[in-house]
Amino acid sequence: MFEAIQAQFEQMVKQRLPSARTTTLDQRKIFIVPSKTAMALLVMIIVLFLLGINFQNSLVYAVCFWLLAMLVVNVLHTWRNLSGLSITAIHIQPCFAGEKAVLELELACDPKQQKFAIDLTWPHEDRTQVNLVSTQTTRLKLSHSTQTRGRFTPPRIHISTHYPTGLAVAWSYVSVDISGLVYPAPAPKNQSQEHRHTTAANQQQSGKELSGGSNDFGGIRSYQAGDTPKHIHWGQYAKTGKLHTKVFVDYASPDLWLDWNTLNQPGIEARLSQLCRQVLDAHQAQQKYGLKLPGVTIAPAKGEAHQVRCLQALALFGGEHV
Amino acid sequence: MFKTSTPQPQAFITYTGMIWLLAAQLIVMLPFTTSLPPWLIVVVVFAAGWRLRVLAGKMTQPSTLIKASLLLVGIAAVFMSGLRLPSLEAMSALLLLGFAFKAIEAVKRRDALVVIFTGYFLVALNFLYSQSIFAGVYGTLSLIVLTGALVGVQQTIEEFTPSQQVRFNFWVAGQILLQCLPLMVLIFIFAPRFQAFWTLPMPMEQTTRGISDRMAPGDIEKLSQSDDLAFRVSFKSERPAQSKLYWQGLVLNYFDGHEWRQFANEQAIEELQWTIKKDYGYEPLNLKTQGPSYEYEAIYEQSGQPWLFTLSPTTEVQGDVLRAADYRVMAKQPLQSPLLIRAVSRPDSIRDLTLSPKLQDLALQLPKQGDKRSRELAQRLYAEAGDERAYIQTVMNHFREQNFFYTLHPPLLGEKDTIDGFLFDSQRGFCSHYAGSFVFLMRAVGIPARVVIGYQGGEWNEQGKYLAVHQFDAHAWAEVWLPGQGWLRFDPTSMVAPERTEQNLEAALKKEGSFLEKSVFSSRKFAWLNSIRQQLDSMQYGWQRWVLSYDSDSQTALLTKLLGELSFTKIALVIMALFGSLILVWMVWLGLTRKTHPEALEDRLYRRFTERLGKQGCERRLDQTPNDYAQMAIQALPQQAEQILAFTQTYQNLVYSCEDKQRSSLLRELRRLLGQIR
Repeated sequence: MFEAIQAQFEQMVKQRLPSARTTTLDQRKIFIVPSKTAMALLVMIIVLFLLGINFQNSLVYAVCFWLLAMLVVNVLHTWRNLSGLSITAIHIQPCFAGEKAVLELELACDPKQQKFAIDLTWPHEDRTQVNLVSTQTTRLKLSHSTQTRGRFTPPRIHISTHYPTGLAVAWSYVSVDISGLVYPAPAPKNQSQEHRHTTAANQQQSGKELSGGSNDFGGIRSYQAGDTPKHIHWGQYAKTGKLHTKVFVDYASPDLWLDWNTLNQPGIEARLSQLCRQVLDAHQAQQKYGLKLPGVTIAPAKGEAHQVRCLQALALFGGEHV
Repeated sequence: MFKTSTPQPQAFITYTGMIWLLAAQLIVMLPFTTSLPPWLIVVVVFAAGWRLRVLAGKMTQPSTLIKASLLLVGIAAVFMSGLRLPSLEAMSALLLLGFAFKAIEAVKRRDALVVIFTGYFLVALNFLYSQSIFAGVYGTLSLIVLTGALVGVQQTIEEFTPSQQVRFNFWVAGQILLQCLPLMVLIFIFAPRFQAFWTLPMPMEQTTRGISDRMAPGDIEKLSQSDDLAFRVSFKSERPAQSKLYWQGLVLNYFDGHEWRQFANEQAIEELQWTIKKDYGYEPLNLKTQGPSYEYEAIYEQSGQPWLFTLSPTTEVQGDVLRAADYRVMAKQPLQSPLLIRAVSRPDSIRDLTLSPKLQDLALQLPKQGDKRSRELAQRLYAEAGDERAYIQTVMNHFREQNFFYTLHPPLLGEKDTIDGFLFDSQRGFCSHYAGSFVFLMRAVGIPARVVIGYQGGEWNEQGKYLAVHQFDAHAWAEVWLPGQGWLRFDPTSMVAPERTEQNLEAALKKEGSFLEKSVFSSRKFAWLNSIRQQLDSMQYGWQRWVLSYDSDSQTALLTKLLGELSFTKIALVIMALFGSLILVWMVWLGLTRKTHPEALEDRLYRRFTERLGKQGCERRLDQTPNDYAQMAIQALPQQAEQILAFTQTYQNLVYSCEDKQRSSLLRELRRLLGQIR
């Protein structure tokens, strides 16, 4: 019975509160109920009513009815405090699995209004309270724990207020149409150290061709499909009519290939964690590195954007493509 | 589906919240100091001080043991302070004690709510002690502060300074309570009024005011020194002449040689009620109605006594009252709060054409001995007069012709032969002397007679169109039973001081100058204050009549007057219509009917600007500020750099640093710049 009601309520919430980048709360979207405090006050109002009857005292009646009226009027105040509030999802900071994903939100209201003590909650995760007093917009962050890598779609946000008297609670759910990336959790550092050696060995065996540098000229070899046109030795072509490619090497930091296939660990997630650790370490060491996953290859490079690209590939491996 | 509510983040009372709470407590408790043990306020101040020192970090929170022992000592003190048990005072004292101690241990918001709700209750409780306009205003103030405290403990707005916070809480609480007012009035008018389910111990120490159930020489003089109000009357019909306004309170039949009482044995109120119900009850058949009829509404002040005062005889009385064979009307309980009754009187009616033996016995009782000279005088005058009617006239004339004097300061008459002492020696007296000796002279020759005490006259308030009767209007007169005519009223005082009944006591005492001599600063002594006093009194009366005395009878009367014939459907429809319009009023008041959040023109233009650039492949991310976006756009679309920069700058000027008079020109500029972007 209760479950059926709950299911129906869920359905209603979905209908009335579709997922959107910006949601403005209006009367269709706000739910309001009296709080436990209101119930306690109601009991006291009944006691006062009995007192009024027994002593036939008009002013006791007046206090009793005044408080009763307050229960009613307060509902409108609580409702107004939520009504007209708009919530916009700004973005989600990517994070590693197991860490907190942080959602940045912007709350805004009509310039003629002020909003007080608005609670934004992810149950059991995070809650924060904001006021819109001197400004019409404010930004806030809400964090949510993550377990698995991939795309993090934030659950709906419970947004509520019991302003001004706590006698009523108005609430709504906001589903934000935004998602963030969760990178695989990096494997612990010391463990990865040994694998580093094996990779280093790989690197020795596979030779310099693999580490396609860009700084120093290393020689000429015959053209292979996929070589960048920039590196074609046009002078040689003019002489011989055959395509040759200039090969460059980076002696200072030999290119590193982080390769899925060289990992001897079982399990997809464990391998991804390994690779993640390696990407981080390589980035920290300011090394040039490339990433090879089944179906995805990212050419060696350096820098922030490259790291993000690699981590993205790891996060979304097996699912969608970047 | 309500499971989602998680625990409140700030479940503890903040320092400002605590100060609010203490202020509210103090204001709520203040009026109780007059009616309850004064040491309670010391306890409150002590508790508040302790709590503030704890909050300031100068003391530690008391342990449970200390709190428990303090509470026990407090309870013991309440029990030992001499309050009756069980009584409302004892209950209030215990409640106040708990209220005060709660401050010491109030840490969580829950505790604060307990304190505030108890405060609401105490505000109502205080109205059992006083229902004056002042008490009403004070109660309203207390409600505002309590509600302010409720707002204050629920949330602290960090953006506000403490003083802003205080003002804000007051403003919110005041606004809410003001908005509640119409609904409160609506409920007040329409909510059904029930009879009391059970009798609770009444508040207040047993102080009684006004006329008592006995009359010894000197009693009414004391009363006449007071200008306290006894009751107010408004007439629905024509008002009787001032000299006809004899407000009968109770009838005194038994004389012991010194004091007049109702019956030979003293009777407590319950006993008296029983006597009246059993063999002294009102018998409508004994009344032959005639003459003009007067309809009026009277509200009696709380006197601590059950006596009510009406123009005798009443033919109809509405209210929770008892009526007796002597045509008195009395309340079923001592008046601890103002009481309203509606009555119809026909003063010229004939009362008791035949006198029952029981009443006759009561009306002929005299002490066996004493007052010899008076008895002789009675016999002599009766013999001279020949019949009863003439004898009564002779006695009345006796008072006028002999050298009797009306005074507030009669000489003392001792314990014995008081009638002799007055009639032959002092000849100076107040109404009780004249009434008492007149009845004595009647009974001495076998004419049934009795003393009636009550009030005579009253002050007409022209503004409020009502009659205010004060304690100094207290009066005593006599009733004599004659065959064929029933009970007739005689007022021997009017023979001596006709001004007393024709005008008032002040006029009668003009020569002596003793009217309200003990209250030097009485507003009655200054003409200009007098009119203000009358105005205030008129306000008090309106308050009493329309607010305090609003009961199920008044409710029916008012609703019938407003709506015509009453029916359930009609009342239900009216309530719904009123409530509906009230909700509409609130919505407009709170601005809930306004369309929320219309996009400002500059924002709309900016949105169009981003859309146009977006079409050219430069979409704006939501987390980009206009500046960031402009930089990105310039890099992507360098050929339009100038326009992008100009637009962004104008937009920012409009949003952040624009004076009102520049606004329209800037908007025009913005529109023009938007036109340049393709």
